[in-house]
Amino acid sequence: MANNLLLLIAVAAGSIFGALGRYYITLLAVEKMSRDFPFGTLVVNLSGAFLIGLCSVILKLIKADPALYSLVIPGFLASYTTFSTYTLDTFTLFKLSRYQQALLYGLGSPLLGFLAVELGLNLGQFLF
Amino acid sequence: MPQPTPGAAYRPALAIALGAIAGSLCRYFLGAWLNQSFSLDPPYSTLIVNVSGCFLMGILATLSLDDAIRLHPEMRLLLLTGFLGSYTTFSSYELDSAKLLQQKGLTADLTYWLGSVMLGFIALRLGIILTEWILSRFASQDQCLEDIHSN
Repeated sequence: MANNLLLLIAVAAGSIFGALGRYYITLLAVEKMSRDFPFGTLVVNLSGAFLIGLCSVILKLIKADPALYSLVIPGFLASYTTFSTYTLDTFTLFKLSRYQQALLYGLGSPLLGFLAVELGLNLGQFLF
Repeated sequence: MPQPTPGAAYRPALAIALGAIAGSLCRYFLGAWLNQSFSLDPPYSTLIVNVSGCFLMGILATLSLDDAIRLHPEMRLLLLTGFLGSYTTFSSYELDSAKLLQQKGLTADLTYWLGSVMLGFIALRLGIILTEWILSRFASQDQCLEDIHSN
């Protein structure tokens, strides 16, 4: 039970940093890049996909403690990236009749995300 | 000149952190429950989390833009950025896709990969349509009451 509680604390703690990281990167993207295209969510989701590939290889190799795994994967990285905002962003672009951007973002995110996670997995296997 | 409340600068971060804890734990417990009760593995539990999160996003985003409700900006951060942002996950979805490709082949992978996106989008639309319908019913009720009172 105490062990279970530790896992829950690890997930919760990781998620705080993940969500705040996502929020500040999104703010920065709005400020530095563009208000009109959801660059922030894209950057967050792609970097998160890369990191989950890399970290899952490393954590497996070092036979990481379940608490460390919970902190990084379902805690930090799962909260850092978001699926619901991505869907909402796609819908908003459609609603604004920016069909090209909507398709580009809607299909580009999962496609680039897949490449990012494969890159992370392969880099992890290559390096360690 | 109005003095800002002490600690006001930390309120957005606090709202997001509180939402994130609840969101990630909901995802964790739902995943564990689905695994125990229906022996569903990560690709399916991640799918259920993401699709239900998109449905809730449709509801909450519509509510937060409605004039009659006017969700406080910090409440919006807590629910949308904190809770739903953390509840749903893009990275696990992509990792599950990569694992499916290795273990089950291209067809299973493509089904999951495109299916998640399509179902998420449909769930979001359903959430929006449902909420707009409910709000319009309330609005027409209010209109009826106003008409009765003005006559």
